[in-house]
Amino acid sequence: MNLSGLGYLLKEGIKSIWTNRMMSIASVGVLISCLLLTGAASLLSLNVSNAVDKIGGTNVTRVFLSMDVLDDEARYIEEDIKRIDNVVKTEFVSKDEAIKDYQESLREDIFNQLIGEGNPLPHAVDVTMEDLAQYDRTVENIMKVQGVESVRDTREIAEKLTSLQKLVNTMSFWIILALTLVSVFIISNTIRMTMYARRFEISIMKSVGATDTFVRIPFIVEGMTIGAISGITTSVLMVFLYDAIMKSVQSIAKFELLNYSEVAVFVSIAFVGAGVIIGALGSMLSIGRYLRKEGNELLGW
Amino acid sequence: MIEFRNVSKVYHTGTHALNQVSLIIEKGEFVFIVGSSGAGKSTFLKLIMREETPTSGSIIVNDIQLEKLKRRKVPMLRRSMGIVFQDFRLIDKMTVYENVAFAMRAVGARPRAIKKRVPYILELVGLENKAENYPSELSGGEQQRVALARALVNNPQMIIADEPTGNVDPEMSYEIIELLHEINKRGTTVLIVTHEHNLVHSFNSRCITIDKGVVVEDAMEIKPSEGGQV
Ligand SMILES: Nc1ncnc2c1ncn2[C@@H]1O[C@H](COP(=O)(O)OP(=O)(O)OP(=O)(O)O)[C@@H](O)[C@H]1O
Ligand SMILES: [Mg+2]
Repeated sequence: MNLSGLGYLLKEGIKSIWTNRMMSIASVGVLISCLLLTGAASLLSLNVSNAVDKIGGTNVTRVFLSMDVLDDEARYIEEDIKRIDNVVKTEFVSKDEAIKDYQESLREDIFNQLIGEGNPLPHAVDVTMEDLAQYDRTVENIMKVQGVESVRDTREIAEKLTSLQKLVNTMSFWIILALTLVSVFIISNTIRMTMYARRFEISIMKSVGATDTFVRIPFIVEGMTIGAISGITTSVLMVFLYDAIMKSVQSIAKFELLNYSEVAVFVSIAFVGAGVIIGALGSMLSIGRYLRKEGNELLGW
Repeated sequence: MIEFRNVSKVYHTGTHALNQVSLIIEKGEFVFIVGSSGAGKSTFLKLIMREETPTSGSIIVNDIQLEKLKRRKVPMLRRSMGIVFQDFRLIDKMTVYENVAFAMRAVGARPRAIKKRVPYILELVGLENKAENYPSELSGGEQQRVALARALVNNPQMIIADEPTGNVDPEMSYEIIELLHEINKRGTTVLIVTHEHNLVHSFNSRCITIDKGVVVEDAMEIKPSEGGQV
């Protein structure tokens, strides 16, 4: 096939989207919804993984001191902790600093009551361990230090997050699989409609000796273009959707989410790629069956 | 060029459309196929272009045994033949020009070749003034000629025409057959299905008569004038 022939086929495919615009819009709409849900599921999964990595991978453990420990006493306790085996670094976190973490999530009048005398938080020390394998023994030794009240067990959180991660991943997998199938089905139906509308042309093309590839290309182009349009639109919508989700998630809990700009390029490529592949797959699915038909069988289908 | 060996065709409905048909059509022949409605004429043509496959027997076209022909190779077979369908099969939303050009595009012809060839063919069938009209704006006979132009445009080795005179007045019928005869003289094999016996008599050519799926007669038609002298 020569280049001008290919150009003609591409044009035919795109023209067909316009000719069947109602059907095209409908399938673009369904595809966008599927891609958005799939994307949201993937991003949730990605965020949970990221959080697990951050918390699980960190070897900083926060050690809370008793409420009655005074500022200067706290400094000595920090020194005591620093001398413990496996502790490589300590960082004192005064209760005044600790309360600041809550400033953004609390109403101003409430927050104002909590600073200074009204502060409900204890002083704390952030401890960095050398070897996490010795975590249990090190915590035991830290707890023996006078004035230490409790140790925030990050491992427990990590474990909880890991099981959450598993759940989220499994759910995302099934959601993605189901929605991909739905999308392929929708595209294949749209292309089937186009083929039906053009069955006449197909029968004539076949009768003058057009190859299957030649007959197929415009429909595959149509499917892939619908996929690409959906992918691009979804990429744009996802920026806003992610922003909205991020805001609502962070209003519930202080959860460190991935910044969209970190993943935007990857996510957009994935959306367009997924759209194009789904489009090609969906169209090939319906074309294969109907290319075998001949003459009246094709016309009367 | 075309050989049928004991070919039978039974449709899935149980209709015996052709029964033990054996015949040979040589390259360059001009052949009429006549028979009443339902005799199996269209089936005969569909078997040649492999739109249908025989239930039994063997068909050879251009030295290719069709039952052994892979699906992938069917397009190449069809490029050797130009087909005029009984029901025209013109595309309504395309102009006459586009309908004819479409057949060239479908086999990957270059735009420049299309631009040169289509007007020439339209002139040949006498439709140069209707190029920008749509099929719905044409008379039955004109539509017929568009279908003929489309069959001719790829310059096939043979033309297969199913009732090319179906919707045309006798004079126009004669002209269409005359045109096909001209094309035949340039070396193209021509097969014409018709039930207009009068027409067949005006041309001194081979005529295969099919009745209820059986070839009942296969002979040279002698022009009545010449017949008188025998
Ligand atoms: N696709 C099909 N499925 C089932 N039966 C068919 C099919 N095509 C044709 N037939 C039957 O086969 C027989 C021969 O049909 P065919 O179309 O070959 O006749 P014909 O000689 O072309 O008739 P006409 O002059 O009316 O066009 C008829 O009885 C017809 O009903
Ligand atoms: Mg017929």
